[in-house]
Amino acid sequence: MSVPDAEAFRAEVRDWLATNLTGEFATLVGRGGPGREHEFVEERIAWERRLGEGGWIGLGWSEEDGGRGLPWSHQVIFYEEYARAGAPGRAGHVGEQLLGPTLIMFGSSEQKQRYLPGILSGAEMWCQGYSEPGAGSDLAAVKTRAELRDGQWHVDGQKVWTSLAQFADWCFVLARTDAAAERHHGLSYLLVPMRQPGVDVRPIVQLTGTSEFNEVFFDDVRAAAQDIVGAPGDGWQVAMGTLAVERGVSTFGQQMGFRQEFEAVLAAAHANGAIDDPQLAARLVEAWIGLQVMHWTALATLGARLGAGPGNAPGTEANVAKLMWASWHRDLGELAVDVGGPEATLTGPDYDLTDAQRLFLFTRSDTIYGGSNEIQRNVIAERLLGLPREAR
Amino acid sequence: MEFFDTPEQEALRDALRSFTRKHATPERVRAAMASQTGIDEAAWKSLSNDLGLLGLAVPESVGGAGAGFAEVTVAVEELGRVLLPSPYASSALVVLLLAESVAPLAEELLPGLADGSLVGAPAWHADLSVGADGSLTGTAGNVVDGAAADVFLIAMGRDLLAVRASAVTVTPQPTLDQTRPQASLRLDAAPAVRVGESARALALHRVLTAAECLAGAEHCLDVTVGYLKTREQFGRPIGSFQALKHRCADLAVEVAAARSAVRAAVWTAALPEHAHPEQARPEVSLAALAPLAALVASRTFTRVTGEMIQLHGGIGFTWEHEAHLYFKRAKSSQLLLGSDTALRAEIGRVAGLLR
Repeated sequence: MSVPDAEAFRAEVRDWLATNLTGEFATLVGRGGPGREHEFVEERIAWERRLGEGGWIGLGWSEEDGGRGLPWSHQVIFYEEYARAGAPGRAGHVGEQLLGPTLIMFGSSEQKQRYLPGILSGAEMWCQGYSEPGAGSDLAAVKTRAELRDGQWHVDGQKVWTSLAQFADWCFVLARTDAAAERHHGLSYLLVPMRQPGVDVRPIVQLTGTSEFNEVFFDDVRAAAQDIVGAPGDGWQVAMGTLAVERGVSTFGQQMGFRQEFEAVLAAAHANGAIDDPQLAARLVEAWIGLQVMHWTALATLGARLGAGPGNAPGTEANVAKLMWASWHRDLGELAVDVGGPEATLTGPDYDLTDAQRLFLFTRSDTIYGGSNEIQRNVIAERLLGLPREAR
Repeated sequence: MEFFDTPEQEALRDALRSFTRKHATPERVRAAMASQTGIDEAAWKSLSNDLGLLGLAVPESVGGAGAGFAEVTVAVEELGRVLLPSPYASSALVVLLLAESVAPLAEELLPGLADGSLVGAPAWHADLSVGADGSLTGTAGNVVDGAAADVFLIAMGRDLLAVRASAVTVTPQPTLDQTRPQASLRLDAAPAVRVGESARALALHRVLTAAECLAGAEHCLDVTVGYLKTREQFGRPIGSFQALKHRCADLAVEVAAARSAVRAAVWTAALPEHAHPEQARPEVSLAALAPLAALVASRTFTRVTGEMIQLHGGIGFTWEHEAHLYFKRAKSSQLLLGSDTALRAEIGRVAGLLR
């Protein structure tokens, strides 16, 4: 397949969204983004299937893997237009953005044949089983165990902060398969079906009052012997590969979302007169400056990886970018309610939050998940600046 | 968008680094600081004649190298990184602006400016009135490299005017940052010629200064991190302590942000003024990007140099250590660029954020 002209491609994306984000899907506009992942999940899964039919999943994957082999510049266009149209938060992002690239990098050809089509069509939803109550920033401390008995993996343990677990068909699980090994050794990366006895999903009520995340309990849960990605004991390397691809080209869609959020805060400031407060005005300008800086930083990061496929993971620039956007977004959340003033202290009935309140509260998670700000600083200090590791 | 050096720019950067390794030694910088002019004359001669650095932006038809704004930025960065005491940044800006000018005076001055026999300097902080004959009367302060200059560029309203130093009373001023001299000017019916637009001049000035700040910040972060790797206390390198590592990481993020801002501004400023419609056009105008880069880069430079002193401990407080030179350069640049409040207000207006 040849690469279409960029502007023609932009028009194609726009037209498709305008045609398809209608009817049953019209209500999904603006839904399911950060802080709203709990909304309309069933409908958003149906929307994933529509996206799959349209060929909009796996744009950057090679054609051999079932994708469209488009360069990053086109993927950027897709994400920008997707956000511009207010299309819903992607229920399938865990499969497309995390597991898919991991399988492309580390999976066997049988695993790719079995699992990539379900991601590309939106037919199978995935969730991520990494964090545990005792293994947050220190992921290597996972205690979930898996044992190969009678031709099956038997999995026992507890995962936490698992998005969309109650809707997922599958979970990729980081589990200890060698009890004698320590830390990063003896871990394995297993593909575990979620719809089976012994899987218990319990939503976590967050400080927003809503539940995007879950606890997942595994009690003698089974996975097929061949559903291990990489060799037994190589789970850490595979899991790190997933974490690295987590911050890829979708950055641009995220930034388009940021821009829309900023515009809303700015409009609110003009509407209620907060813009006349010099300090709030200064913070709004600083927020706009931050948007520009993040945009160019993302361009530079991607430019450095020009032509890089999903197998080419970014380096420490991803950590710099994460620290930048997480802090920026949290500041925007504070600015949003500061602009609102006393009005921002009132919610709707049943703790129905305004957009500003949701931004204010939900962005507290941005600086924690996907590597907290503190972990990002450790990585930047050690890998980018080459400072010595802390004495342990 | 070009975020990285082209092969030619990389070669230029390499050449400049070998040049500055040779000329911008601590001894040479200190000697120039203590000298009457504040300029390392030998280095200035060499960069003008041997490197032809001032002719970078001069069209080949007038004997220059025919390079562009991005190349001049590379030079400003590399000289600024080592605080080479020379009027390069001032004079190169004047060359850039006169190279864009159609005024006969520009054509007359360019050859001398391009070979370094003449020096140009902008005067931003002026309080002047225009006489009936177009001459200028009044004063200007904080003119960087003013004592060395043969020609001044002065913004009056929308116009950029050129005034010969021979028509001006120039008084050198003692400066906090001794690596960059300043002077005050007194004009008494000094003849002035329009050579361009003041907005363009101010924008390019801000971008160049921002680039210089970025290079200084990069240098200071490098030096500080290097020190933390070798300095031992409590039996281990102090750079292994998380409290210090996190501060360095935050500085690294700030420097990365400044780099993004400067690169975007340089890229936009280097676009031909009437870019071909098919060429990439910036989403955000130079009118917003120039003050943005100036704000972000000078703030970053100031912060990094303050941390440089603190993280070096006592040695960072000495006259002997280089930290104070950068600390003073950073704050001076920030103050000369205008207050954060003023720059933010300007960005807000230009970007249509404020009413």
